[in-house]
Amino acid sequence: MAPVSLHSVKKTYGDVQILHGIDVDIADGEFIVLVGPSGCGKSTLLRMIAGLETITKGDIRIGDRVVNDLEPKDRDIAMVFQNYALYPHMTVATNMGFSLEHRGASKAEIAERVKWAADILDLSHLLDRYPRQLSGGQRQRVAMGRAIVRNPQVFLFDEPLSNLDAKLRVVMRGEIKALHHRLGVTTVYVTHDQIEAMTMADRIVVMHAGKVEQIGAPLELYDRPANLFVAGFIGSPAMNILGGTIEGAEFKAAGVTLPLPAGVTATGAASYGIRPEHFQLSPEGLPAVVSLVEPMGSETQVTMTLGEHLVTGVFRERVAARPGETIHILPELAAVHLFDATTGQRIN
Amino acid sequence: MRTDLSPRLRVALYGLMCVLLIPFVFPTWWMITSSVKPISDIFAFPPDLWPRRFDFSTYQRVFELQPFARQYWNSAYIAAIVTAGTMVVSSMAGYAFARIKFPFSNAIFMIVLLGLLIPSEVTIVPLFQMFLGWGMINTHWPLILVPIFGAPSVFATFVMRQFFIALPGELEEAARVDGLGRFKIFWTIALPLAKPALGAVAIFTFLHSWNLYLEPIVFLSSTQMFTLPQALTQFTDAYGGAMWNIQLAAATMTAIPVLLVFIVAQKQFVEGLAHTGLKG
Repeated sequence: MAPVSLHSVKKTYGDVQILHGIDVDIADGEFIVLVGPSGCGKSTLLRMIAGLETITKGDIRIGDRVVNDLEPKDRDIAMVFQNYALYPHMTVATNMGFSLEHRGASKAEIAERVKWAADILDLSHLLDRYPRQLSGGQRQRVAMGRAIVRNPQVFLFDEPLSNLDAKLRVVMRGEIKALHHRLGVTTVYVTHDQIEAMTMADRIVVMHAGKVEQIGAPLELYDRPANLFVAGFIGSPAMNILGGTIEGAEFKAAGVTLPLPAGVTATGAASYGIRPEHFQLSPEGLPAVVSLVEPMGSETQVTMTLGEHLVTGVFRERVAARPGETIHILPELAAVHLFDATTGQRIN
Repeated sequence: MRTDLSPRLRVALYGLMCVLLIPFVFPTWWMITSSVKPISDIFAFPPDLWPRRFDFSTYQRVFELQPFARQYWNSAYIAAIVTAGTMVVSSMAGYAFARIKFPFSNAIFMIVLLGLLIPSEVTIVPLFQMFLGWGMINTHWPLILVPIFGAPSVFATFVMRQFFIALPGELEEAARVDGLGRFKIFWTIALPLAKPALGAVAIFTFLHSWNLYLEPIVFLSSTQMFTLPQALTQFTDAYGGAMWNIQLAAATMTAIPVLLVFIVAQKQFVEGLAHTGLKG
């Protein structure tokens, strides 16, 4: 285990700047998730930590060593790749013991470590099989086994669940988290799936266009997004964002006036954010015309037009309204987010 | 092949395939059967598909008229060395062109490929001059060195490069994380996975070397040094007429390794070319 520190890390390909100075401190044993849309630079950053990409500027430290110029093998990291990258011509046991073999470990030690990892990951009965003979979930576990067998200081995961079906993804999410609890190794995990990020991370780093938008615990990001990008990216269904102006204690948007929480001192153009579950059904509420009702069983998701804005509401109760009918909704004032119209930064 | 064909269609299909086989199978059949016929029966009309009389002494005469065992050995060991050498050169060059970034790699590869466009008839005289200067005429060195570093190896390099290009980059990156350097990645990861392409290279390199004709007749002058294609032309009578049955017996023995290679390795050959995007 070791802390990882990224200091003003930049990456350029020719004239194109991919990463614009990333600063992140990852504590010893922490599970941190890099999340963001495709092309935001999260995988590039992970590959730079691994040593698979060069660093244009800045420093990366693992433990107390600056690793900028070290080869991947000398960084004491292990990586799980998106497509698992298992060697097709080797058995599960050989795949898992391969790195130890090339580091000069004795056969007895390799066998012991492979057995230890196989027991943890329930792979003992698959050790003689080849990757082509395994299911997606089993391959994923072998890839994890290959990573843990060496007892590295840092685990790096590059979208490891993206090739699995939805059900298996949930199972593997739990397994990776359990493995982290058991081993306590510092982990950097890349995903574009914000649910994965929310459910697995100790802290999340939200990235966008090569910059860090916000770093924080999952619920901190959910409850107090620092800017419009984080507000829109974290949460599913996404937060409703309405453009308009703050006028006294009210927010005037196209075709609708929304109440504001107490203590808002800002005025002028802004964006009003409210999460779908923070709308309440109330006869005294604002009228909204229903366009789609999606009963989920435990809750009901309703898409509706509020003023001139299409918004989504998620209600614990069953909603009997049909498309075209009007329902009345109220935003929970304590859960209203206000953002500056120009900078997109949070203002309440 | 689809298995849901109607019985009638299937019979028609197999019938058509049998007809199409004739031009490919008949020459081989004629060669083998004629090799055990007395010479007078070979040109009998109508021709016999099955020999009326068998004369196996033709096979004995092959070895009496020429040092055929020696010539067989010459062809075999030259083909083996050329095959092994080409596999080494083409796999390393193909890997380098596919996976290692170096300045002008694509331009250099194009220049290398241009070698395929130059017919061997054009280069044979300068090569003769070169090997003459090196004192290698009437030795087997030209038959070994030219294929390993010439056009056959260029084609093999192309095949290997196409295979290595398709190899997932993540495998190499995983190997780097696992602690391997460039050569070990090539040796322990890339090369074992390249078996199908390497198999295809081995087969057509072996066949090319085995069938080589122009180079032996230019570079070799003594019957002890001859290779099989060259030796086949020497089974003639005092007036230069072909001793057909003896020549066909020698041809049959010459063709056996080729047939064996194809029978044993045809799956590997097709797979290897399929991996490279080439059609067989």
